[in-house]
Amino acid sequence: MALDRFKPTRTELLPGHKRLGVGSVVADLGLIIWFVFSLFPIVWMVILALKNAEEQTTTYFQFSPSWSNFATVLSDKGTQMTSVDFKTAMLTSLINCGGAVIVSLVIGIPAAYAAGRWKYKGSNDLMFQMLSFRFAPELMVIVPLFVIYNQIGLFDTKVGMIWVLQLVTMPLVVWILRSYFEDLPEDLEQAALLDGYSRTRAFVMVALPIVRPGIAAAALLAFIFAWNNYVFPLILADSNAGTVTVAITKFLGGGGQAYYNLTAAAAIIAALPPLILALTIQRYLVRGLSFGAVKA
Amino acid sequence: MATVTLKGLSKSYGKTQAVRDLSVDIEDGEFFVILGPSGAGKTTTLKSVAGLVDVDGGSVTIGGKDVTLVEPYHRNVAMAFESYALYPQKTVSDNLASPLKSGRTGKYTDAQQKERIDQVTTTLGINHLLNRFPRELSNGQRQRVALGRVLVRPADVYLLDEPLSHLDAKLRAAMRAELKQLGAMSKTTTVYVTHDYQEALALGDRIAVLRDGALVQIGTPEDIWRRPADTFVARALGQPEINLLDGEVEDGRIRLGGGAFDVPVPAGVDVRGGDRVRVGLRPCDIHVVGDQAAGSGPRLTGTVVLAERLGRNIELTVDVGGEQVIVLSSGREGVDEGGQVSMTVAEHDIHVFAAGEGDTSRLGADHDTGRTRGGVEEVETAQ
Repeated sequence: MALDRFKPTRTELLPGHKRLGVGSVVADLGLIIWFVFSLFPIVWMVILALKNAEEQTTTYFQFSPSWSNFATVLSDKGTQMTSVDFKTAMLTSLINCGGAVIVSLVIGIPAAYAAGRWKYKGSNDLMFQMLSFRFAPELMVIVPLFVIYNQIGLFDTKVGMIWVLQLVTMPLVVWILRSYFEDLPEDLEQAALLDGYSRTRAFVMVALPIVRPGIAAAALLAFIFAWNNYVFPLILADSNAGTVTVAITKFLGGGGQAYYNLTAAAAIIAALPPLILALTIQRYLVRGLSFGAVKA
Repeated sequence: MATVTLKGLSKSYGKTQAVRDLSVDIEDGEFFVILGPSGAGKTTTLKSVAGLVDVDGGSVTIGGKDVTLVEPYHRNVAMAFESYALYPQKTVSDNLASPLKSGRTGKYTDAQQKERIDQVTTTLGINHLLNRFPRELSNGQRQRVALGRVLVRPADVYLLDEPLSHLDAKLRAAMRAELKQLGAMSKTTTVYVTHDYQEALALGDRIAVLRDGALVQIGTPEDIWRRPADTFVARALGQPEINLLDGEVEDGRIRLGGGAFDVPVPAGVDVRGGDRVRVGLRPCDIHVVGDQAAGSGPRLTGTVVLAERLGRNIELTVDVGGEQVIVLSSGREGVDEGGQVSMTVAEHDIHVFAAGEGDTSRLGADHDTGRTRGGVEEVETAQ
């Protein structure tokens, strides 16, 4: 074929290929070591989840992988062992975290827009006040919250969990989206105003679609943070609003034997929803980092 | 169609005063140009008319109605932004339809919308781009779309903010000519902001020159060019810049270059012997003449220090009695670096300004400079 002429010869570099030098070899080696080091806990967890009860505590490596631990976690047998239905806990977590993220977006997007667009005396203080919820350890506020929740009947309710998770998700959403709205050229909304649209419609029609990648990124991060939260559901919830993070730890055994292999299997199952979510909206995440503005 | 009146308009951003006490009357259907360097408050003025900035003081009246506190979407003005401000997620056709769909610029059926868009895209030569996104357009095309979004609907006032500034020189000249020929523009009151004096002179029915947020001069292009209110306006117009020479009045003539040469005091300029003045001579008003030719005006003689060919003209730097004077010559006189030249200036092309550093005002009473002078003095005291 005539096109063969354009085939690169061996000495030419293909796009994405780079010349091998001592420096890059050393750098790659360093990265591999770091990679192994950081991935090791996950590898360990996966191996542990596939081991049976005898293998999990041996001092030498004994490994006959099976999926039975996963089945146990999700079965009635698992429920009997921990007195918590893991499937229900998963669903509760989804409701709690999904609810928390939705509330944070509904309230946080307009808040972030206002914070990004209108500067007034003390607007930065207000933003830091919101962030300060994240400065203090959760344990510091948990005791008063526990008392309050008991008194107003929010203890062990999903509404209560969604509410308290706002402390985790709202600052994240507002802070991430504020910078997106700040980067958005004001000209665009002003153009919409002059086209005859109200401020609200200009916001919905112009600003929102452009920051959609940012919203996806903020929502995902908020969801992961809410999903991983342990202290709030541990203290403020029980069987009705108890989340998967608490359910996992039940396999470590409050009363009897600690099932490390079941714990590992439960942890892997619990990690799936955020992982799936992240992969689904990956496209937006990448775009979120580099969205074009007004001029080329 | 409407008149636009700005009265005592002021706006500050923190400590920077963007517009100070600006008062302008724009007539119905006028093409009004606001000219000034960057940071002069041109865009702030324009956005005040649009209602996009909250003014600190003064009022904006459109069509006889005070709209100072009226929201932008109730003002019925259309604006083209310097940044184009095209909606990136919408196609060209949706961008153009946007003002027609809001319901505040009139009700249009789908067919009427299509017809209007068709009409404006045909005029601007962009009807092959309708299904493209702004990111797929060149700057010139984006410019046209932004202009199209203004022209697609009837408005009381069109506001254009540096609409040609991002185009290359050739395209800019072409678009300038097109703008002038657009029918809609000639019927609707238009406020046009630019820093390019050529655009201002070519397009404007009247020009307002701004500096540091204050009005320096307002008038027809002819006024501004022939009778600049001060050295700032004189320098802002014309490329190369006007020559400003210090001189002293003596026996009805102004001695320049330490007495090496002189020009007559133009009629209507009230100066007395001994007064120090500044004389402005535009490079294009200084004519190179042959040795024997009898010029009518004063005769200057000097040595050519530098000759640069700029296409049609040659820009000469001439040493006249120790002063460097820039002269535009057609090149037919056969002058060369190191050679001697004789030059004449017509008396009415001699601009006389007050002596001093910085921007000084014009001397002479040929023009209503009352408000102008006030503005200038205010700036000087503020500095």
